[in-house]
Amino acid sequence: MIHRALRHPSFVVGLAITLMVLLIAILAVFWTPHDPTAIRISARLRPPSATNWLGTDQFGRDVFSMLILGARNALLVGIVAVGIGLSIGVALGMVAATGEGSLLDEGIMRVCDFTFAFPAVLTAILILTFLGPGLVNAIIAIGIFNIPVFARIARGAALQVMARDYIRAARAAGRSTPGILARHVLPNITGILIVQASVQFALAILAEAGLSYLGIGTQPPNPSWGRMLNDSQTFLAQAPTLALFPGAAIALAVLGFNMLGDGLRDVLDPKSLER
Amino acid sequence: MQPVSRRVALSVGLAAMALSIPVSASAQTPKDSVVVCQTLEPPILDPTGGAAAAIREVTYDNIFETLLAFNGEGRIEPRLAEKIDSSADGLTHTITLRAGVTFHDGTPLTADDVKFSFERAMAPDSKNSQKWIFAPIAGIEARDARTVVITLKSAVGDFVDGLAWADATIFSAKSADKAGTEPVGTGPYQFVRWNRGDRLLLKRNDNYWGKKPAIANATFRFISDPQAQVAALTAGDCDAHTNLSAPEAVPQLRANPNLRVTIGRTEGETIVAMNNGKAPFNNPKVREAISMAIDRAQVNEGAISGFGTLIGTHFSPNHPAYVDLTGAVKYDPAAARKLLAEAGFPNGFSATLRLPPPAYAQRGGEIVAAMLGQIGIKVSIEPVQWAQWLERVYRQRDYDLTIVAHVEPLDINIYARDGYYFGYASEAVKDAVARTKSAKTEAERFTAYRDAQRRITADFANVYLFMLPKITVSRAGLKGMWSNWPVPANPLGQLSWE
Amino acid sequence: MIAFLARRLVTLLTTLAVAALVIFGVTEVLPGDPAAVMLGLTATPETVAALRAELGLDAPMLVRFLAWIGGFFTGNLGVSYAYRVPVAGLIAERLQVTAPLALLASLFASSIGITLGALAASRANSAVDSLLMAGAQVGLAIPNFWFGILMVLVFAIGLGWFPAGGFPGWESGLLDGLQALFLPALALALPQAAVLARLTRTAVLEALGEDFVRTARAKGLTAAQTLRRHVLRNAMVPVVTMMALQFSFLVTGTIIIENVFALPGLGRLIFQSVGGHDLVTVKSLVMIYVGCVMVVNAIVDMTYGLIDPRLRFGRGVGR
Repeated sequence: MIHRALRHPSFVVGLAITLMVLLIAILAVFWTPHDPTAIRISARLRPPSATNWLGTDQFGRDVFSMLILGARNALLVGIVAVGIGLSIGVALGMVAATGEGSLLDEGIMRVCDFTFAFPAVLTAILILTFLGPGLVNAIIAIGIFNIPVFARIARGAALQVMARDYIRAARAAGRSTPGILARHVLPNITGILIVQASVQFALAILAEAGLSYLGIGTQPPNPSWGRMLNDSQTFLAQAPTLALFPGAAIALAVLGFNMLGDGLRDVLDPKSLER
Repeated sequence: MQPVSRRVALSVGLAAMALSIPVSASAQTPKDSVVVCQTLEPPILDPTGGAAAAIREVTYDNIFETLLAFNGEGRIEPRLAEKIDSSADGLTHTITLRAGVTFHDGTPLTADDVKFSFERAMAPDSKNSQKWIFAPIAGIEARDARTVVITLKSAVGDFVDGLAWADATIFSAKSADKAGTEPVGTGPYQFVRWNRGDRLLLKRNDNYWGKKPAIANATFRFISDPQAQVAALTAGDCDAHTNLSAPEAVPQLRANPNLRVTIGRTEGETIVAMNNGKAPFNNPKVREAISMAIDRAQVNEGAISGFGTLIGTHFSPNHPAYVDLTGAVKYDPAAARKLLAEAGFPNGFSATLRLPPPAYAQRGGEIVAAMLGQIGIKVSIEPVQWAQWLERVYRQRDYDLTIVAHVEPLDINIYARDGYYFGYASEAVKDAVARTKSAKTEAERFTAYRDAQRRITADFANVYLFMLPKITVSRAGLKGMWSNWPVPANPLGQLSWE
Repeated sequence: MIAFLARRLVTLLTTLAVAALVIFGVTEVLPGDPAAVMLGLTATPETVAALRAELGLDAPMLVRFLAWIGGFFTGNLGVSYAYRVPVAGLIAERLQVTAPLALLASLFASSIGITLGALAASRANSAVDSLLMAGAQVGLAIPNFWFGILMVLVFAIGLGWFPAGGFPGWESGLLDGLQALFLPALALALPQAAVLARLTRTAVLEALGEDFVRTARAKGLTAAQTLRRHVLRNAMVPVVTMMALQFSFLVTGTIIIENVFALPGLGRLIFQSVGGHDLVTVKSLVMIYVGCVMVVNAIVDMTYGLIDPRLRFGRGVGR
């Protein structure tokens, strides 16, 4: 399977991009060329140079340093928001699947349907107005919308797996439901969950960028790509590069996770459930 | 669709190159109409029903008129009142109305309208935001159709001046209730239509009592986004912008031969307000340290491209009683750190900075936070909408630090108010403010103002940054835009095309 | 079948009712006193109380809820806190921008997406195909607000072909209106077009493998004729479904795009009302957005149930 994966162009490119973003984000935790929060008014709006590789912003901060620290924040949002969705969503999905047709199943799925019907951006705006803007609250708002996504997928995939003979056999042998779920069901639905997680990761980065662009996501001095785009809009004429780099960074990161997801989907193929 | 999409892809690639190409002249405006753009949209159009400056920017001296009015230099001149005779004891004011004034619906202006308007403003359920204007009034009498006599409970120096405020607008009893949405006034322009969220249309009042305006059709457009403001000016969608929110774009606009830029003054003292009533800001040493840690010239430069006038106290340099206290506190982070240690915070402390939406606050806030970081105060920024700012900072006083511009003229009296959001209390200031009201002569009044200024600065009540500038941009050939804002207003009657 | 439709309809109505309850609950507990907000800095407690009474904020919760729900049928949604005009009129006014914007964006998305998708499928595995699919992948990754900013830079500031933002109003002419909506619609359409291009390609390729295609080719139709007459028509079913399901993204996309282009539409209204705590307007707007999405999804479900009876007992499409 690894061989198949490494020959899949989308997977390879996606993996390369995501690894690069990941490495940069880790790097940014330990080192940035300049302090990304250091304000130097006298050095503002400088074009790219040897000292400031991507120039400086309206406060004289180093754009490159902000950009790579922004990668860290984008990944943080993705990891936590998808993590919230995965942990709670999969748990709910499995519970629903084991009690298929029960009132609990019906209830969980109804709530999921219901959440789906709420436009995510709109609800996130409401949540952030209610909780106050900020990175943590943005992650919560985005994470909430990942829960029903994973709940549905986990339920559907788990039902498929549980219909198989060896599960029935395990059951007949007296294994407990949690045991069956952990030993047989979960390992068999990991593939499909990873594929979806990759897609949701990309969506989470986009969502955070959008909310920060609207000014209700990540707050300064913590750098965020969406926020940088918002700030750059006033300086379009003097410093167009300010609008180019953060946008390109978002697009690249999202592209990486999307391609990784596409590649994984082909490589893992839902048929691999039959394995 | 294909050709279009291909062109899009191609042109996006050329983004950087296409930047400096000037714009077509397709948006030429006929010479008796004008599109004036401003940043904020008024929530309603009744200046006595809300405090928003945007209401006044649209209606003052356009749709509505007052007995007296401010001109562009901040001097008060007669408007609907032909003259006001004040008795020697300052208790009786006899107002003679101009003859032949009618409202837009044809109703003639009478003394009853003045009585009605002021009593409406004084009513307990009135939403008037400047009730102090009417507070001294003991009685209003409509003596005849053109004469109103107002008697006061006690002599108040600035009573007559208050009649020039938009909050003392004269309505007709017939149409006052609808003033918020379908305003009917006596002004040179009458209301046509309001496309909410976008624009408001006015047309010349052909029965206007005064000089006939040159512009027949006027449009106010509301563009809050700074970049969109610049783009709309460059693209010719706006003939003028009353106060540009993108000071950094001034060099670019100045380079444009079709546009004229003037940097003028407002009455907006921009301050870093500190919650004087809350620890550790109740400690004067902490406030002094904070004042010393902030380099206001840098904040001015970074937040509004240096167009503001630096101030050292809560008073407008435009006023003759202004005292220049900019040197009273010197920028000195090392000394500030020492002071902070003396105050018991050798390692600094944490504080929140709540910022309202305007760019001066958002950008200024980032810089102030970084500067306070230099002396060990860890500031976390929390942007709030105006609604939340009013509720949490202004009403509940639930804040550490905030940045805001106080745009009302002569508002140093807020330092004498109990329960005001600064949490500042000083008997000396209360006394000085009381003296500004009771003063018999101008000299006395000015001395009182100067005392108050010195006192609040000596107490480090707040950090005083700068006066907000008014950046007026107009199309070449458009004359008559106010370059200063003694009060928020854009009288269209003075505009004309060359 | 009628039972299926009835069941789906009941589900829809229940969901709508629950949504209404949730929205009402949330908007009523948001912090801040709207009356105080509207009156500004120098309001006294008495004036705030007066406004609260005027706006009916003192009535019991249940009465207010029922009055609000009733308003959707009578067209009386109360008076906006911020603008002090009837909310229904405000929404109708803003809809004149958002509805055409969404429509135009759908038009762009479908025409660009389907054309390119079909083109890619007809040249499957060629360089053109790879290029188009790579383009679609990039289109999915680009945030539409960034795309919007770039287009303003080029077409409005640079070339001056389009206004940089704002909307002149339909009364200044159809052309001016469409011109103002062109760039925002294009920005809004970008990710949708990418999704549709990918889907169309897959659907067309699947249809190309079906028996009737072989029959048609055997009858002597050219490849292009076959594509137009048979394949596309069959491939359209999933594509149209996807468009309906993407509706919710399109609708919420307007919130950000209208902010980029300063368009006076529903999206900007909702952002402004949320910021201004204009709760009367917020709750009705959110209800309308949510209601639209729910109704469209239900229609897709029902249509699918009618087309494919097997789905009537499942959990519907696209889940």
